[in-house]
Amino acid sequence: MVNLNSIPPKDGRDYYLAIGLEGSANKLGVGIIKHPVLERHTDSDLSHECDVQILSNIRDTYVTPPGEGFLPRDTARHHRNWVVRVIRKALSEANITDPTKIDVICFTRGPGMGAPLHSVVIAARTLSLMWDVPLVGVNHCVGHIEMGREITKAKNPVVLYVSGGNTQVIAYSEKRYRIFGETLDIAIGNCLDRFARTLKIPNTPSPGYNIEQLANKCKNKEKLVSLPYTVKGMDLSMSGILQYIDTLAKDLFKKNLKNKLLFDSKTGEQLVTVEDLCYSLQENLFAMLVEITERAMAHVNSNQVLIVGGVGCNVRLQEMMAQMCKDRSNGQVHATDDRFCIDNGVMIAQAGLLEYRMGQFVRDLSETVVTQKFRTDEVYIAWRE
Amino acid sequence: MSAEIIAVIADVLTESIPLTPISQGAEAVVFTSPVHPYLPSSVKHDGNKLYILKYRPEKKYRHPDIDKALTKHRTLGESKLLAKLRLIDGLNVPKLIGCDPYHGCIWLEFLGEDLPDGHGFSNLKNFLWMNAKDPYSDLVKETLIKVGKQIGLMHWNDYCHGDLTTSNIVLVRGGEEWVPYLIDFGLGSISMLVEDKGVDLYVLERAIISTHSSFSDKYNMWILEGFKEVFESNGKVGLKKYKDLTKRFEEVRLRGRKRSMIG
Repeated sequence: MVNLNSIPPKDGRDYYLAIGLEGSANKLGVGIIKHPVLERHTDSDLSHECDVQILSNIRDTYVTPPGEGFLPRDTARHHRNWVVRVIRKALSEANITDPTKIDVICFTRGPGMGAPLHSVVIAARTLSLMWDVPLVGVNHCVGHIEMGREITKAKNPVVLYVSGGNTQVIAYSEKRYRIFGETLDIAIGNCLDRFARTLKIPNTPSPGYNIEQLANKCKNKEKLVSLPYTVKGMDLSMSGILQYIDTLAKDLFKKNLKNKLLFDSKTGEQLVTVEDLCYSLQENLFAMLVEITERAMAHVNSNQVLIVGGVGCNVRLQEMMAQMCKDRSNGQVHATDDRFCIDNGVMIAQAGLLEYRMGQFVRDLSETVVTQKFRTDEVYIAWRE
Repeated sequence: MSAEIIAVIADVLTESIPLTPISQGAEAVVFTSPVHPYLPSSVKHDGNKLYILKYRPEKKYRHPDIDKALTKHRTLGESKLLAKLRLIDGLNVPKLIGCDPYHGCIWLEFLGEDLPDGHGFSNLKNFLWMNAKDPYSDLVKETLIKVGKQIGLMHWNDYCHGDLTTSNIVLVRGGEEWVPYLIDFGLGSISMLVEDKGVDLYVLERAIISTHSSFSDKYNMWILEGFKEVFESNGKVGLKKYKDLTKRFEEVRLRGRKRSMIG
């Protein structure tokens, strides 16, 4: 059994306060949360039932023009320019007048883009020295998982983590979140984002959302543009699919009549639209995701799925996952909405506070070095049985 | 297990073929039945001899086009592979009895048994869990080397499994020993490429690390030991192939994402 109350809150209060700073990609997020001290946490395995209260959840996204991705340098500059304002807003929304009362400052240690991570950790160190509050470095993926568990109350789910930089199927075993399946090349969000760039569709609110909207407008849902289906055991590969559909889209824009998939060879009539391509891409990619998730569920004998990460907001993916679970005995699917799916500060605070309550925090600033490569299974999960 | 799925296949096979569901994998539901498909219904079955029915139900979550293509491809692919693999001397795979690609259904001989003390069906996963108290015993070592040999033999003949996990290896008792059988070739292929074989080994290594984390180093070592033996027994050509394969295996290992690059 695990004791989550080993470190009492500051000033003999009956609750913990934590602030989380996230900036591993193009979202800058600051969140403040409160955990009440509960008797049941002294000796139990209830790290997914902390009765968390979200005092504030502020996010600012660096949006690039259509056809462009976010470059590390520019993203880092965005984070540096906004971090003070976002933190101030988070504090005032949470009604915290004296930030030295906060128990712990949590920041993203990785994985992510180096430069943006760096600009945010500098802010975190500064706050720590200024307010004299300890720091905790959090693995971004673990942040997503812990927030998902807390919101949905899923005790021990198979986790599908799908975002711009990650595609992993994860299950907990012996104090680690083990990776059962993952992408062998690019992440699903990356695949969708890059296709959106080829299509030159806007990046607001997010490229993936716009692809989803285009896919919904597809008029010919019976017929699918056939794409490679590349599941390798519990792993998958997506770069080939992207390459293939990119070529199709370019042929479509160039009106390359030689391409018989897109144009009728006799009349030159256009057979496929951009909406059809978006729809087919989504159907194909998500079918692969659901399949590897189901494989992992069968392998570990679990019947719960939790979808986290930015792509997890996609309604079609949630639908497909729900259908898959329906066909398994007592299958349950848990998903969160865009407040928690998309990168945010609250999830970093949640995972960081759990770590802090187990007595793990930064003793020396040299431990706060951020890293671009930080695997989910490297983290020792002290707060679970 | 969802009753709807079972109802669909039971309806196809009619009442004269009783079905007992035993497991639901990711893509297929597995049943046992005492009925052999070739015997007329007038022949009484005594219930001692069982056959496996592997049924790939329609997956409603995916687009019907994808679903049809995959079900057909995998059912036929698996049957073809099993038929060919069965002919390889020394390689253990279940015997194929019948194939019904229109309904996504294949009949196989029944393999394995229940492990003692409620440790479940005798696949490698349950076997390793059962022996977790004495993980490095000779029995475990020998069994894993034999598993490695089976995989080596398959790769030596240019076949790939595509989904090697510890639950896809069934152990059949042969006296005091356990004889491993490879099952579930739904993602299998015939391939001359080192790449596919490297990925095969990598998938198995990862499956062992994630399901049997505490003892995975030794386990993987033993499997590779058996694997190597097969190639070594084929002289110079075998050794060269083995070298190419392990080299690619190392490369595939490094390819996983976000690996820390220390060491």
